[in-house]
Amino acid sequence: MNAAKRMIPLIIAWIVLLILFRMKVPAFLARDNMIDLVQQISVNAIIACGMTYCILIGGIDLSVGAVLALVGTVTVSVLSIGNPTDQSILRLALAICAGLGVAALFGLFNGFCAAKTKMPPFIITLGSMLVARGLALRINETPIRVPAQDDLFLAIGNARIGGIVPVPVIIMLVLLALGAVLLHRTRFGQHLYAIGGNREAARFTGIAVGRAELIVYILCAVLTGVAGMIHASQLYSAEPNSGQGFELNAIAAAVVGGTSFTGGVGTIPGMLLGAVIIGTLDKGLNQAGVHFSLQYILKGLVILAAVYMDVRRKRQA
Amino acid sequence: MRIRVVDLVAVCCALVLVAGCSQPSSGGGAAPAKDAKGGRLFGVSYQTMNNPFFVELNEGMKSVIEAHGDRLVTLDAQYNSLKQKNDISDLVLQGATAIFLNPVNWEGVTGSLAQAKQKGIPVVVVDAPVKDADLVLCQVASDNLEAGRLAARKLAEVQPESKVVILHSSVNKACIDRVDGFKEEAAKHPGFTILDTQEGKGTTEVALPVMRDLLARFPECNAVFPINDPSAFGAISAIESAGKLGKVLVVTVDGSKEAVDVIKTGKLLSTSAQFPREIGRISAEKVYEHLEGKQIEKEVKIPVELVTKENADTFIANKAKGPSK
Repeated sequence: MNAAKRMIPLIIAWIVLLILFRMKVPAFLARDNMIDLVQQISVNAIIACGMTYCILIGGIDLSVGAVLALVGTVTVSVLSIGNPTDQSILRLALAICAGLGVAALFGLFNGFCAAKTKMPPFIITLGSMLVARGLALRINETPIRVPAQDDLFLAIGNARIGGIVPVPVIIMLVLLALGAVLLHRTRFGQHLYAIGGNREAARFTGIAVGRAELIVYILCAVLTGVAGMIHASQLYSAEPNSGQGFELNAIAAAVVGGTSFTGGVGTIPGMLLGAVIIGTLDKGLNQAGVHFSLQYILKGLVILAAVYMDVRRKRQA
Repeated sequence: MRIRVVDLVAVCCALVLVAGCSQPSSGGGAAPAKDAKGGRLFGVSYQTMNNPFFVELNEGMKSVIEAHGDRLVTLDAQYNSLKQKNDISDLVLQGATAIFLNPVNWEGVTGSLAQAKQKGIPVVVVDAPVKDADLVLCQVASDNLEAGRLAARKLAEVQPESKVVILHSSVNKACIDRVDGFKEEAAKHPGFTILDTQEGKGTTEVALPVMRDLLARFPECNAVFPINDPSAFGAISAIESAGKLGKVLVVTVDGSKEAVDVIKTGKLLSTSAQFPREIGRISAEKVYEHLEGKQIEKEVKIPVELVTKENADTFIANKAKGPSK
């Protein structure tokens, strides 16, 4: 209840944004444009879901952008081994497993280091970010094109169910629903809040802090892996250089949505609202024809305003 | 409840800023995006705006579009393909009259091109090509092959016996063309030897150490072809610190004002100048011709011009007018 209440000012802010942009851009609220908005935020929202978990337990994952690039590169490489000539379900399954497997390995590494060593997650994931980026570039320095006959893989990012709802939107909604259930309806979710609230206290109450941490980083990396496949599919190719700065977009969505950087506070619906607000801002400023230099300034100010609001509310609560 | 008042003030401040700044600077005002004869909306997405080349290109494009009473929205993809895809999608859904595109990933824009095609919005590709040429109205770029040929010809004229190293940027199609043109011309001169081709990535900071290594490896090297002005600056700096200034000649491509200044000092022999403003202008004119129902050629090559010490001053004075022919 409290969490829902905290989202009210954000919802008001979003509606005001929509009205403002509708005044500038007549077609802003058209169905196509709104569906496109949700489609555009899908990659960021999926990554931000994992990022919210990390921030909730007082951690962070800076490696998501590089892991996204690596997963895309691995997946598309497997898809194009030996110049296939027709769609093969087996090969697709193998490629997806390889991609998610690599992501899970990175999550395992991040989580293991966070749980077992005293290194701060910021530094651990800074290191694994560079390793993942380097591996992606070792596989191929330039983009790898998705083989044209792989209709199913290309459908992940480009198809529309019934000609209306984009597949990435459905993937995002399913993953976020599962993510929300895990966080808000299970004992594991409760544990994450406890760890973020007070790590030592959580340990004394018998919570397996290390194990929870491990799972969180693996989840974050695997979600990033799914986002990486959508990304590669949408661009018809895997780019080893892509995803730079995606970690910051994900963090922005999480914190605008009310996730506290000190841990212990934050929700999945809030994060989604954060991603929607940032997406609305991106789209609206583009369509209103705002110069790109001003777009950066405005986005920065809106993020600051949102977080300031949140901090204020917490102090007075 | 008292809390929320403060919150809302903060939000409103930010939003008022948004509203205040979203006035189109071009003066199209609150006119709707399409229908009216003037005041049509055009959009352009660049791979980066962190390069004077694209800033000039954009100015050329804008001058034509604003002269027609229309407006141009300029978007910066920051080398991020996904952002470029989203930006183009925003323009398409807004009903832009035409879209100009400088692709981040020449294969990765396929989806965006298909989306624009489906809505019947013409796309003109500027400077760097796209793979799916059949999905676009036309591609406008410098004649990069000729730029490479001009550089080799100038070098052959000054120093017929040249032992050359090339600083490449091998992921870029425009640079591949430059090197092909250079090699094609070099093959006509028996005194030319190409010692090695190395990756300079088209930037000063990468070109410098690579050139330093090449000079150490090939003491006989007496010429270098860095494929653009920034990497030429790196090469010159390496040559200077090796004390080989004047012994190793530099010919390049671009024609930036900085490079012309260096030509005047004699450290750079020539640069085959591109005309970004002209590329922008022609691209926009092609779109208007298309809108009038004229047939447009699929590929438009903008001529390049050799700049040397002799014509450096007149070049700078006349640059805005485009290539002299």
